[in-house]
Amino acid sequence: METIKNYLETMFLNLPNTPEVYRAKSELLQMMEDKYTELKEEGKSENEAIGIVISEFGNLDELAADLGIANFVQSNSQMPAGRALSLEEVKGYLADHAKHAYMTSLGVMFCILSFCGPIFLSAAAEISPRYEDLLDAFAGAAFFLIVAIGVGLLVYSGVSVGKWKYLKTERCVTDFATTEYIHQRMESYKGTYAVLLTVGIILCILCVLPPIIFDAVWSSSAFWEDCSGAFLFVFVAVGVFLIVMGSMRLDSYKQLLHLNGQGTVGGSYVPNQQNEPQYINKTAAAVMSVYWPTVTCLYLIWSFLSFDWYITWIIWPIAGIVHTLVKNMLAK
Amino acid sequence: MDISSDVIRGYNDTMILYLLWEQPSYGYEISKQIKTLSDGKYIIKETTLYSAFTRMEKNGYIESFSSQSTDTGKRRTYYRITEAGRKYYREKCEEWVLTQEVVEKFILKGDNRNGND
Repeated sequence: METIKNYLETMFLNLPNTPEVYRAKSELLQMMEDKYTELKEEGKSENEAIGIVISEFGNLDELAADLGIANFVQSNSQMPAGRALSLEEVKGYLADHAKHAYMTSLGVMFCILSFCGPIFLSAAAEISPRYEDLLDAFAGAAFFLIVAIGVGLLVYSGVSVGKWKYLKTERCVTDFATTEYIHQRMESYKGTYAVLLTVGIILCILCVLPPIIFDAVWSSSAFWEDCSGAFLFVFVAVGVFLIVMGSMRLDSYKQLLHLNGQGTVGGSYVPNQQNEPQYINKTAAAVMSVYWPTVTCLYLIWSFLSFDWYITWIIWPIAGIVHTLVKNMLAK
Repeated sequence: MDISSDVIRGYNDTMILYLLWEQPSYGYEISKQIKTLSDGKYIIKETTLYSAFTRMEKNGYIESFSSQSTDTGKRRTYYRITEAGRKYYREKCEEWVLTQEVVEKFILKGDNRNGND
């Protein structure tokens, strides 16, 4: 039965998502289902039944005039306007973009880490006056060296996915089975993504810990006190690495799912198509779109100005409740 | 030999209306009856059948309604014939008698063919 459903989905793939098309699809499925059930009851094998049902399905051209889809059916038979990507291509795209996400986030991490080298070496220079000039020189060199590695990684990862550019320039679509495959992979990846994002954000928030701890523990050592800034960057760098990698991989799935226009049958898989909240007017939508960034800014400003970290977190639960209230008030 | 779909196209409506004459019916039931009544010589394609349904519904010859099947309890779209449909059916029957009369005159029979009459 799955085969028949997939066959029908593929036939309807590039058709607009109008009520007429939807009805035609479900009616045809009903008839095919009835026929399939009866053939099976007659003792036909699975393959035989599917073969008969599909061979007696007919041609969508016949429906074109009735459904008002003549130009869609015709443009399909004349030129492949939307080239369907094969499953192999999709797998290749996802593998390459996973690597791309890893390298890009690694590059970003190195760029942030570039501050650490100079901080360490300058701290070392402070306490060993004999080698001060030498260490200071190394500090500058280390900075540029690490930046160069980071930028190198960014450039390389950018070039390495260049061959997939045609997805954006050419009109490509994915058939129903492939779309389902991507969707499943994305769903199973979301767990990993949640962990990466959470740990990344926690690291970014905890970046203030090293200076605080170093201050308390090694307050006598000038070297360690100077170095504490470097550890702040290490925390931020690892945090950003996790966040960027997670988001980029998720984006690669979304990119593929967005290939199918929302108007076509294959596009009914585009995530959040229906779940996107609708607001009463444009101003409300604009305000809601900057809600969480604003809350984050408020949290950081309040926390850094007062340094009352033990209490500032209260902003999050309050913001959560306010968000739900405001959303329901402004929703259509 | 198979029936050419070009020739029979004009009479798909007639067959469907004939089958709906007594009682409402649904897609697969109709396609099955067409196959049985024609001794398996004509199998109507799903797309042909559905396009005939939509066309005749638009012209007011049939009406659709959703109902549960009596045996399996499955919800299906049923079609019933309207008064306009009955009138259209009678016209088509007359048209066919005429068509048959005319075409018949040009068909070789008897000695040259192994036909049965």
